[in-house]
Amino acid sequence: MADDKVPGALDKGTENAALSGALAAEHAAVWGYGVVGAALGEAARQPAEDAEAAHRTVRDQVSELLAGRKADVVDSKGAYALPFPVLSAVDAAALGVVLEDGVAKAWVRVLDQSVERSTRELAVGVLSAPEVRAVGWRVAAGKSPVTAPFPGLPD
Amino acid sequence: MSPTSIPSSPGFSRRTLFAASAAGLAVLVAGCSSPPADPREQVTSKQADQLAAQVAVQATLVAAFAAAGSADPALGAEVTELASQADAQLTRLKAASPGSSASPPAPAPPAGPDARGWLRTQITAAADSHATAAVDQSGARAALLGSIAAGLRGQDGRLA
Repeated sequence: MADDKVPGALDKGTENAALSGALAAEHAAVWGYGVVGAALGEAARQPAEDAEAAHRTVRDQVSELLAGRKADVVDSKGAYALPFPVLSAVDAAALGVVLEDGVAKAWVRVLDQSVERSTRELAVGVLSAPEVRAVGWRVAAGKSPVTAPFPGLPD
Repeated sequence: MSPTSIPSSPGFSRRTLFAASAAGLAVLVAGCSSPPADPREQVTSKQADQLAAQVAVQATLVAAFAAAGSADPALGAEVTELASQADAQLTRLKAASPGSSASPPAPAPPAGPDARGWLRTQITAAADSHATAAVDQSGARAALLGSIAAGLRGQDGRLA
């Protein structure tokens, strides 16, 4: 049977691949927040713990969604390479920004690649929280500007 | 084996977005009378109308920043960067919806300290509208609207 798929067309395959990317980003965020939390003092650790919990929830949701579709469910890696040494509270906040920006990119890609309305609803619902958290981390990291007009999109 | 780098997401490439935006632009200019070069960017007339409506929503928000700044100059100074970002969002929305000609009514904020709360309400309303519209779009247009909605949520968080 001839393959009549138009190159570049959106379909369930592109959608599931993007969701797999989002799942991988959520795994990375869950792992990364362990590093963020460890680098923060106990009094300042709560935002990292809250963020980790939020990413675990989304990770489990996406994992369940992909499993239900009999699609690839990517596992967490045993370890991830940090983009820079995390030796202080400022480093930890900067890593928080990297984690949230990475998750935002993944979910914007889901919006770009999806064919199901329900998947876009999921993506839009998930996408705001990373940017809200990123604003807090940018403030803590001393970055400017602290808000982003296009989270997840190229500059 | 070296560990996977953070972030591990493939994300968006600039090339992908620009290619998609260019194709979407061509469709909107042609009024959907011919098939687009990129099948990802096929747009219905309803989607084109909705995107034009989001340009109006964003234009209203840009006007709201100016109005809030007039009502409370200290707030206006504080939100200069946020206003600039809202304007950049409007510019990109207009580029994605070249047929739109938004001329929203000038919003009128309360004077004094209530201007901040009023501006946050305007930001949240625009974010809600863009998020709702993103669900009904597809491809680069859905990505753009969803991203802008998220950016506005971040702005609201900054003003909280």
